[in-house]
Amino acid sequence: MTDIAVKATDRTSSGGRMKARGKLIDFAIDIFLFGFSIMMILPLAFLISNAFKTPQEMLAWPPRLIPSDPTLENFRSVLADTPLLRWIFNSIAFASLSMVAIVMTSAIAGYVLAKFPFRSLNIIFMLILATAIVPFEVYMIPLYFQAQMLGVLNSLWGLLLGYLVMSFGIFLIRQNVMHSIPDELLEAARIDGAGEFWIFWKIVLPLLRGALGALAVLAFFQAWTSFAWPMIVATTRESYTIEVGLALFQTGFTVDLGRLSAASAAVLVPSITLFVILRRNFVQGVASTGMKE
Amino acid sequence: MASVDIQDVRKFYGQLETIKGVTVDVPDGAFVVLVGPSGCGKSTLLRMIAGLEDISGGTISIGGRVINDVEPKHRDIAMVFQNYALYPHMTIAENMGFSLRLAKRSKEEIDQRVREAAGILGLADYLDRYPRQLSGGQRQRVAMGRAIVRDPQVFLFDEPLSNLDAKLRVQMRAELKDIHARLKTTTVYVTHDQIEAMTMADRIVVMRDGIVEQVGPPLDLYDRPNNTFVASFIGSPSMNLLEGVITEARESVRVEGGAELPFEGAPPATGKVVYGIRPEHLRLAGDGEGFEAIATNVEPTGSETLVQVRLGGQIVSAQLRERVNIRAGDTVRLSAQPDKAHLFDAGTSQRLG
Repeated sequence: MTDIAVKATDRTSSGGRMKARGKLIDFAIDIFLFGFSIMMILPLAFLISNAFKTPQEMLAWPPRLIPSDPTLENFRSVLADTPLLRWIFNSIAFASLSMVAIVMTSAIAGYVLAKFPFRSLNIIFMLILATAIVPFEVYMIPLYFQAQMLGVLNSLWGLLLGYLVMSFGIFLIRQNVMHSIPDELLEAARIDGAGEFWIFWKIVLPLLRGALGALAVLAFFQAWTSFAWPMIVATTRESYTIEVGLALFQTGFTVDLGRLSAASAAVLVPSITLFVILRRNFVQGVASTGMKE
Repeated sequence: MASVDIQDVRKFYGQLETIKGVTVDVPDGAFVVLVGPSGCGKSTLLRMIAGLEDISGGTISIGGRVINDVEPKHRDIAMVFQNYALYPHMTIAENMGFSLRLAKRSKEEIDQRVREAAGILGLADYLDRYPRQLSGGQRQRVAMGRAIVRDPQVFLFDEPLSNLDAKLRVQMRAELKDIHARLKTTTVYVTHDQIEAMTMADRIVVMRDGIVEQVGPPLDLYDRPNNTFVASFIGSPSMNLLEGVITEARESVRVEGGAELPFEGAPPATGKVVYGIRPEHLRLAGDGEGFEAIATNVEPTGSETLVQVRLGGQIVSAQLRERVNIRAGDTVRLSAQPDKAHLFDAGTSQRLG
C-alpha cells in the first residue's frame, strides 16, 4: 500500500512540497497501522506473559509485559492437575475430522450444485442456504437427544455429529466452481473419455485447491473454538475438548488466572501452527476466486 | 475417418424448437463449415454431434453407425473449444496425452504420439510448460494437439479462432487447413465468420434460425446464393440488395430513385423483385452509361477503394480496383455488370432463375 502511494506521488508531484506532503501522509498511515496492530497483538502478548507470572505479580499494578520473576509453575500445575494434553488431543481429533468431513461434503455438494443442471437441485440449494439462517442453538437440544439415542455421548463421534456439513462451505465451493471452472473443461474431459468420478477427482479438486484450503482453515477453527455443543455432548472430564476444559478454570466465584493463561498459551500452539501452514491458501482462497486465467 | 450423416435432426428446449429438421451430409475426409449469425443453432448442432446435447428428433450417424444414444467418449470424436478448455493444472504434454492416459495406453506410446503431434504443431519446446505460460495462439495449438493425438474419426471445432487477434487468426487458418490436408480427417467446423468459412471449407452449410439455408462449395454459394440471406451473409463487403420492378423491356430493374440496373437472361417473373449485385461488380461508368448517385463515404484501402453511394433511399457499395479521386458529396456514375446480377423474389426472398 505504501509502495503504491509513493509511486503515485512520484508521478504526480512536480515540486518538493507535494513530495513532502505525500511522505507525511504515508508516515501517518504507518503510525495508524502500527497502533492498530499493537492493539491487536497486546492481549495475546499479555496472555503469554501472564502464563509465566507468579500469582502476586499477576495482580500487581501497573501490569508488566515482561515478568520480573518468570516461573513455569503455572504450566507444571496445569499439566499435573488437569488432563490438558488429553483435551488438546480431543480438540485436534475433533477439529481435524470435522475439517476433513466438511471439505469433502462441501466439495462434492458444491460441485454438483454448480455444474449439474437439474431443477430439483435448485430447491436443495435453497434448503441448504436456509439452514444457514437457523442458529445452531435452535436445533442443538434435539441433536443432543439424537446423539443420546445413538449412544455417542462423551465420544468423538458425538462431537462430530453437528460438524460434518457446513452450509457456508457448500455455498463457497459452489460459487467458486461456477466462477473458475468453465463447462467446456468438463465437456472436454467427457469427450476425452473421463468418467464423472475421474473428472471430479483429477480436474475439479485440483482446481479448487485454493478455495478448499481456505474452507479447511475455516472448518478447523469452527470446530476448534466451538463451545456450546462440546459442552453438552461431553460430560466426562476425559472427553472434554480444550475449550470446555479451559472454562473449568473459571468457577462461580474465582478465576484461576495463572493456570488459565498457561493452559491458553499451550493451546495457541497447534492453532497458530496450522494457520501458518495454510496461510497462503487461506488468503488466496478468500481473496480471489481461484484461477488466474 | 468416417462420414457424418445428419438426418432431419431437431432440438427442443421445452416447447422452443431451436433446430428445425436439419439434414447435412459430411463426406469422409471433408472439411465442412457450419456458418451463420449467432443464435442460428450451429453450435448446438455441433454439440449434438459431440454428444454434449441430447438429440430431440432425427438421427446422427458417424461412419454409418447411429450415435444418438452413444456417450461422447464412445463416439470417437475430438473437439476443440473456443476457450481452448485446457486443463490449467496439467502441463502441455499431460494435456495432450490426457485422453490416451484414460484409454490406458502405455507410457511409451503416449509419449511418442504426444511428441508427434507436438512436432506437427511446433510445440515440441513447450511440452513441460503450463497453459498459463503460453500465448493465445500456442494454447489454441495445444487444443488442436489434444485432438490430433487421439487420431479420431471426426474433428469438431467450435469457433476455435474467435479468441485470437486478426493476424494470428489468418495464420492459424492456414495452419488448420494445412493440418487437414495432411491428416485428411473428417472435420466439422463452426464459425460466425464467413471469411473463415470461405477460405477453409470444402463445403459450407449456411444456417439461420435452426434451418439450413444452403449447402455447397464456397464459390457456388458466392456465385449462386439461393436467397437474399445467403447473398448478404456470404461475401465481404456484402452484396447490394435493392428492391425494384422489372421494366417493360425485361432487361433491367428499376429501383428506388429511378435508376435502371441491367441483368442478363430472361426474367422468370414480372413485378417486384430484389436486385442483387456484389460491390466488385459495379464499376465507374462514362457519360450516358449506368446511373448517377451521390458518394457518401470513400474508403481507400490501397489495393482497392470502397465507395458508398446513396441511390434513392438506399446505400450501395462499390469496390473499385482503381485509385479514384472521389470525395464524399461528389456525384459519381456507376454501372453494374449485367451477367453478374442476381434476381430474387421480393416476397419469398428466393432466387429467381
